[in-house]
Amino acid sequence: MAWLRNMAERFRAHFSRERVEHEMDEELRGFLDASAEAKRRAGMTPEDAAHAARVEMGSPNAVKHHIRSAVWETVVENLWQDLRYSVRMLAKSPGFTLVAVLSLALGIGANTAIFSLMDVVMLRSLPVDEPGRLVLFGQGRMVGSTGSLPSESSDLFSYPFFRSFSQTNQVFSGVAATDSVEFSTHGSLSGAGSEVVTASLVSGSFFSVLGVNPDRGRMLNDSDDRTPGSGTVAVASYAWWQRHGSDPAAVGKTVHIEGINYNIVGISPPGFFGTTVGEAPDFWIPLSMEKEISPGWNDLNNKWFQSLYLIARLKPVVTPAQAAANTNLLFKQYIRSEYLGQFPSQKDLADFEHAQIELTPAARGLSRLRVEFSLPLEILTAIAGLVLLIACANLASLLLARGTARSREFAMRMAIGATRSRIVRQLLTESFMLALLGAALGVASAWKASHLLLIMASHSPQVAAMDVSPNLRVLGFTLILTVFTGLLFGVAPAIRATRFDLNGSLKQGRGMAAPASRISLARMLIVAQIALSLVLLAAANLFLRSLVKLSNVDTGFNRQNVLVFSLDQGAAEIPSDARLVNIQQQIEDRVQAVPGVHAASFSCFLFNQGMWSDDISVQGVPRTPENSQDVIFNVVGKGFFSAMSLPIVAGRGLNATDRTDSPKVAVINETMAHRFFPDGLPVGHRFGMGESLMHSGDIEIVGVVKNAKYVALQESPEAAVYFPLSQHIQYLFNFEVRYTGEEAQMIPAVRRAIAEVNPNIPINGISTLAEQVEESTANQRLIARLSAFFGLLAAFLVCIGIYGLLSYAVARRTSEIGVRMALGARRSNVLWLILREILVLVAIGIAIGVPLALAGNRLAAKLLYGLSPADPLSLFAAIAMMFAIASLAGYLPARKASLVEPTVALRCE
Amino acid sequence: MGQKQGEMVQGTLEMLILKTLALEPMHGYGVALRIEQVSAGVFRVNPGSLLPALARMERAGSVKSEWRSTENNRRAKYYMLTAVGRKALMDETAAWGRQTAAIARILEA
Repeated sequence: MAWLRNMAERFRAHFSRERVEHEMDEELRGFLDASAEAKRRAGMTPEDAAHAARVEMGSPNAVKHHIRSAVWETVVENLWQDLRYSVRMLAKSPGFTLVAVLSLALGIGANTAIFSLMDVVMLRSLPVDEPGRLVLFGQGRMVGSTGSLPSESSDLFSYPFFRSFSQTNQVFSGVAATDSVEFSTHGSLSGAGSEVVTASLVSGSFFSVLGVNPDRGRMLNDSDDRTPGSGTVAVASYAWWQRHGSDPAAVGKTVHIEGINYNIVGISPPGFFGTTVGEAPDFWIPLSMEKEISPGWNDLNNKWFQSLYLIARLKPVVTPAQAAANTNLLFKQYIRSEYLGQFPSQKDLADFEHAQIELTPAARGLSRLRVEFSLPLEILTAIAGLVLLIACANLASLLLARGTARSREFAMRMAIGATRSRIVRQLLTESFMLALLGAALGVASAWKASHLLLIMASHSPQVAAMDVSPNLRVLGFTLILTVFTGLLFGVAPAIRATRFDLNGSLKQGRGMAAPASRISLARMLIVAQIALSLVLLAAANLFLRSLVKLSNVDTGFNRQNVLVFSLDQGAAEIPSDARLVNIQQQIEDRVQAVPGVHAASFSCFLFNQGMWSDDISVQGVPRTPENSQDVIFNVVGKGFFSAMSLPIVAGRGLNATDRTDSPKVAVINETMAHRFFPDGLPVGHRFGMGESLMHSGDIEIVGVVKNAKYVALQESPEAAVYFPLSQHIQYLFNFEVRYTGEEAQMIPAVRRAIAEVNPNIPINGISTLAEQVEESTANQRLIARLSAFFGLLAAFLVCIGIYGLLSYAVARRTSEIGVRMALGARRSNVLWLILREILVLVAIGIAIGVPLALAGNRLAAKLLYGLSPADPLSLFAAIAMMFAIASLAGYLPARKASLVEPTVALRCE
Repeated sequence: MGQKQGEMVQGTLEMLILKTLALEPMHGYGVALRIEQVSAGVFRVNPGSLLPALARMERAGSVKSEWRSTENNRRAKYYMLTAVGRKALMDETAAWGRQTAAIARILEA
């Protein structure tokens, strides 16, 4: 190892600043000595000679400064020369430059786009004071409300608990609450027209706990949130304020929402979008207005109504562990005193035993998007990384071939005195220039691409409100990536290109074989590209096949020819009592009468819109583990089953006889019938909501309807109950219309019919049932599309690589082929000779790629439906595609070789 | 060059250094001395311009350097021409010849 140390020593010395300085001093001293000695010999006294020599030289430091700047100038000059030369060389071969820049742009652009999405979804901190000291109670996975006893890890909390906890805890400097639901409603600003607005309900402490200060006016405070109905104030978001012309007099104006005038007291600072990633409310309104903003909801002071997220700021000296201990202690005490009655059941006690609050860091805010989208993002990152690697390998092999073609140029330059390092530097400059051009183009397209990705990932027409334009962190990432890329594809070819025997290269004609090692490096690069592309192609096949399987899942309902209108009855200020039911039924009847409409019905939920579920207890049926699972509830109009094309299997559907004041009824699905009545007829039986047997006689089952999918295509059969809307009075946002005829004529006709009943009900949006089904597979489609795109891109790059390698090999072997043909080889023999070369490489590449693909696909297992990650068909298809692609790319050069005229080939030497 | 002793036409220093080194490798003071002697004392090259010029030329690849011991056994940095330098000398000499001939013709006209 001594030689290694020795070499390292010398290496370091060569570049060390001290050495350079020391040598400069020594040279100056030598100069002075020599000069003084000459003067002495000419007759001066030693003192005079030394003095005269020093005077002649002037200040040694000034001389050293001149030397240093002379060297520095040449460095800059050389760099400039290299750059100009690179531009000339790249301009000389536009085809190569185009392929190189485009493939790099795609590689770097894809990585940048995905990283910028990753940045907003997973990495970016909230723009608040000391985000690291914020904790979230639970994990923020649930949205909505829950009415059951807290059990296991809680995500949602009641307002009374929030109040009590804020006062009793000793570990937080402040606790903030925000409703888990962002409300979408209608509002109008001081008499202007009505528009869709989103509002977030927050506690008065919300902004002070986060440490967010107003852009103008004031934020909310505790006095706004004291008694229910008293806080008629709102803080507007900066984005909303900007949309309304940045009106300097906005603070003090009123906004009219659901019948209440809210006084705008302040504007939030720009860049603050609230605490949930992907949501950007227009207004923050005190929780005290909960009942006014959403009249259908329970009372805020009801401790069973748990719908809040809690975020708290740790006191400066408190550790997260201490905070968790104190929080859970108080939580348990609260449950025992407030939730458990005097005689708790066994189940209640068990729930109480497991109840806990998990404190999670909230620096990056809450993000369901993070939970849902992190696996797809990781897979996309891996795919984009592979594409960049393939692009690098591809460029490296192209550069190798170019290096061989340019060896005479390099030999010439070295012969007239250029050092090898100078030429390597020149070649690296070319590589970095390609990388930078690719990066510039890539970042420009990433700008658009990340927005596109966001739209595709948003699952709904409403795009998640996030800023995905590249920021400094993203650009930094791209810069590092670019430098790394340039090194990866540039270094080996540059070193290879300048390693040769000078005389040999100058003399070398086309016929001589290049050094074997250079060719084998090129082959290794091709093999690597084939292996990596196989991984991508196999993954793409897997995702596509999974998507096809998913699209073929039987939803139970017929998704074709159904329009879905989103109606906001709350905005029309209709009271939620019998009058509401009346209007809902009138709309159903009026639309039903429109020519071409087969059925029209309201519903609380449609496919993939979330769910409302709970236990039920059936009269006379003992509880078993099987029938203790939650049942999905829906509230629908009488035309719902016709609108969805769900046939009634037994009994009857819902009809006009199910009135508000008639006995309560429900229709159940087949799974529920099977689960609770394995061997009897369910029609006529009674059940109640909740686990208490006291209510088990409340509701009569009047019919059984066919099973359907409710939340996701992948779900296993779920038990479901449908209630008539007349017996569960609430605002119903979905309005489905099954029709025949033209969609374009149907929409205005339905709009007119609705307006005839009540012109004040705004239509928030119109989509189709088929679209809603499709949106539920947005992640899968995104991944399938992108992986297919990148897989094809990789295959295309491999084509270029193979074509380049073979063309070069054919050119090199022209005379050999000529000899073979002169000796009687047939064209087919020559064709095979060349093709065989590539097929061997493909076989090796596949042998390496298959285990890689199998290992990589396991990552994707969670996103697959009905397929194993080792699905043989996907893998075989990928292998077949690889062979087809390689044969295609190899055929052209091979054919060219087979057309060589022996006489011409032999003469061309 | 009719002006004060030691002043040089812009850009000629590097050509003179190249010419001087074309004979044999030399250290810095040797180059200065040689130029002074051959020009019969008309040009006196200051180390403050000679050493930076040598550094620049080394960086540009027209000369390279090596530490050797001098005739009186001291260590000194010797400079020698490279192929690039040799070619540069040829080019510059030719250009110089054309320029001076042209100037001479103008002056004689």
